[in-house]
Amino acid sequence: MLRFVGRRALYAIPLLLAIIILMFSMLHMIPGDPVQALVGDYPVPPAYRQVIEEKYRLNDPFLVQVGNYLLNVAQGDFGFSYQNQRGVLDLILERAPRTILLASVSFALAIPLGMAIGIAAGTTRRPGVDKFWTTTALIAYAIPTFWLGQLLVMLFALRLGWFPTQGIGPLISRTHGIAWLFEKLRYLALPVLAFGIHEGMRIARIMRASVIDTLSQGYIITARSKGLSRGQIIRSHVLRNSSLPLVTIAGYAFGSALGGAVLLETVFTWPGLGLLLVDSIRLRDNMTVVGVVIFSAVAVVAMNLIVDLLYAALDPRIRTMR
Amino acid sequence: MSDSKTATAPASGNGIPVGSWQAHIANLFGTRHGALGAGILIVLVIVATAAPLIAPYNPLEQTQLSLAPPSSQFLFGTDNIGRDVFSLVVYGSRSSLLVGLGAALAALLIGGTLGILAGYFQGPVEAALMRLVELFQTLPVIILVLCAVALFGSNFWLLIAAVALAIWPMEARLVYGQYIKLRDREFIAAARVADLSTAHIMFREILPNAIQPIIVQVALDASIAILIEAGLGFLGLSDPSKVSWGRLLFVAQDYMDSAWWMSLFPGAAICITVVGLNLFADGLNEVIDPRSTSGMGGLQ
Repeated sequence: MLRFVGRRALYAIPLLLAIIILMFSMLHMIPGDPVQALVGDYPVPPAYRQVIEEKYRLNDPFLVQVGNYLLNVAQGDFGFSYQNQRGVLDLILERAPRTILLASVSFALAIPLGMAIGIAAGTTRRPGVDKFWTTTALIAYAIPTFWLGQLLVMLFALRLGWFPTQGIGPLISRTHGIAWLFEKLRYLALPVLAFGIHEGMRIARIMRASVIDTLSQGYIITARSKGLSRGQIIRSHVLRNSSLPLVTIAGYAFGSALGGAVLLETVFTWPGLGLLLVDSIRLRDNMTVVGVVIFSAVAVVAMNLIVDLLYAALDPRIRTMR
Repeated sequence: MSDSKTATAPASGNGIPVGSWQAHIANLFGTRHGALGAGILIVLVIVATAAPLIAPYNPLEQTQLSLAPPSSQFLFGTDNIGRDVFSLVVYGSRSSLLVGLGAALAALLIGGTLGILAGYFQGPVEAALMRLVELFQTLPVIILVLCAVALFGSNFWLLIAAVALAIWPMEARLVYGQYIKLRDREFIAAARVADLSTAHIMFREILPNAIQPIIVQVALDASIAILIEAGLGFLGLSDPSKVSWGRLLFVAQDYMDSAWWMSLFPGAAICITVVGLNLFADGLNEVIDPRSTSGMGGLQ
C-alpha cells in the first residue's frame, strides 16, 4: 500500500518536469517582445533594453534558460514578474488562498448536492422523479459557468441588490466577528452558487449512473434476499460502493479548480489564480504564466495522489493489488 | 436516459437487419433523447447554413438604435453599437458548430491515431504514448487552450486546432481502451495467424468493432469544444472578425446593468446546442449499448 503510493508520488516528478519544459518551450515560441511589453507603447531605448536583457538573461540560449529556471525553481525561486514588479511566488501565494477558498466552498456545496440528487434519481421507484432529475442535471450541466454567473449577477446583484456584483470585498474591513464573516459570505455567494451548481450537476450525473450500476450487482440481490430494507441497503451497500467513481472525478475536478477557475474568476473579477493567469497571458508576463501553470499542475497531481489514497481506503481490493 | 423499452427494441420486421446503421438510426429516433437531440442539431444546422435567409439584418450592420430592448422590430434587442442581437445569434451558430465539429474531428484524428498505435503495439510505444496522454490530461483544459491561443493567435482555424489539442487525450484514452479490449480476442489471433498485415488488422478487424463508443465520444467532444470556444470568446480571445456566441457574452459583460438581452440570448443558444449534443450522444449510447446504465430503471 505504502509502496503503491510511493511509486505514484515518484512518478509525479517526471510528469511535472515535462510540464515545466513543455510550458517553457511554448512560451518561448510566443511572438512578442517581453522588453517592449514591459515598457508599454513607448520606443525602447537601446541602453535600457540591454540592461533588462542582461538582468533577466533574455539572450541566453533556450536550453540554458530552461536549465537555469529549473535550478531556480528547485531553490524556491519562481522568477520575477516585471508587470507586477513582484516575485512570482509571492504573487501566487497571495492569490492562491482566494482561489482555494472559492473552490473549497463550492465543492462543499456541490458534493452533498450532487450525491443527494444522484442517489434520489438512481434509487427512486418512480420514473417521473428520475426523469425530472436527469433532465435538470443535463440542462444545468450544459450551462456555461460564466453565463450562469452573468445571469446571477444581473438578477441578484443588479436587479435585487442582494449581493455585490464583483470582487472579494475591502482589503481592510471595518467589521469584525460575525459581521465580517457575513460580509465575506456576501461576496462569495454568487460565484459559489454558479460553480457549485455546475460541479454539483456533474457529480449528480456520475452518482446516478454509479448507483444504478451498483444496484444491478449480485450482492444487492443477496442483501435483499436477506430481508434488509431499502433504506438499509442504500445506506450500507449502495452509498459506499457507488462513491468510488465519484472520488476520482470529483478529485480531479477539485484539483483543476485549485489551479484557478479562469472563466468564473473573470465574471466576478475574483482576484484569484485564474484571473492572474488571464491577465498575465494578455500582458505577456511569461514568468507568471509558467508559475501559475506549475502551481495548477502540482495541485492536480497532488489531488490525484490523494484520490489514489482515498480509493485504497474505500476499496480494500486496491490495497492488495500489485 | 430512461427510455429503455424503446431503446432495446430491435429494429426488425421491415427487412432492416438488426445492428445495421439504418437500424441504429431508426432506433435513435425511437428514443426520446436521441430524437430530441437529433432534432435540435438538425435545426441548428439549418439555422447555420440558411443564416442569411433567417437573420432579418446584416449582423454587422449598425443601426441608430443601440441597446434597444427586445421588440417586434428587434426580436432579441440590439447591442451596444446597434447591431441586431437576433441576427448575431443566428450567425454565431456558424462558428460554434464549425469549431465543435472541427475540433471534435481533429481530436478524433489525433487521439484516435495515437490510441490505435498505443493499443495495438504493446511495450515502449504504448508506455510512451500513454505518458503523453497523461501529461496533457494533468494540465487543466482551459489553461492549455489559453496558452495555445496566446502562442498561435486567435485565427479561426488555429482556434480549432487549439481546442482539439485540449480534448484529444479523452479520445486517445477511449480508443486505446477499446483496442486493449479487442486485441486479445480470438478473431484477432485468427487474423494474425492468417498472416494479415498490421494495417489490415488495425483498420479492418479492430476498428469496426471499436467504432460505436468512439462516435458517442465524438458527439460529447463536440459539446465540450463548443463550451471551450465560448469560454475563449468570453475572455476576448476568439477571432475578432467572426461573430461568435462567446464573444457576444464578452461584450455583454460590460452592459449587464443595462442590457440583459445581450447576455441572455447568446448564452441560451450555447446551452441549447450543448444540451442537443448531449441528448444525441445519450440516445446514441442507448441504441448502441442497450445494457448501458443510462437505460436502467431504479431499485424496484
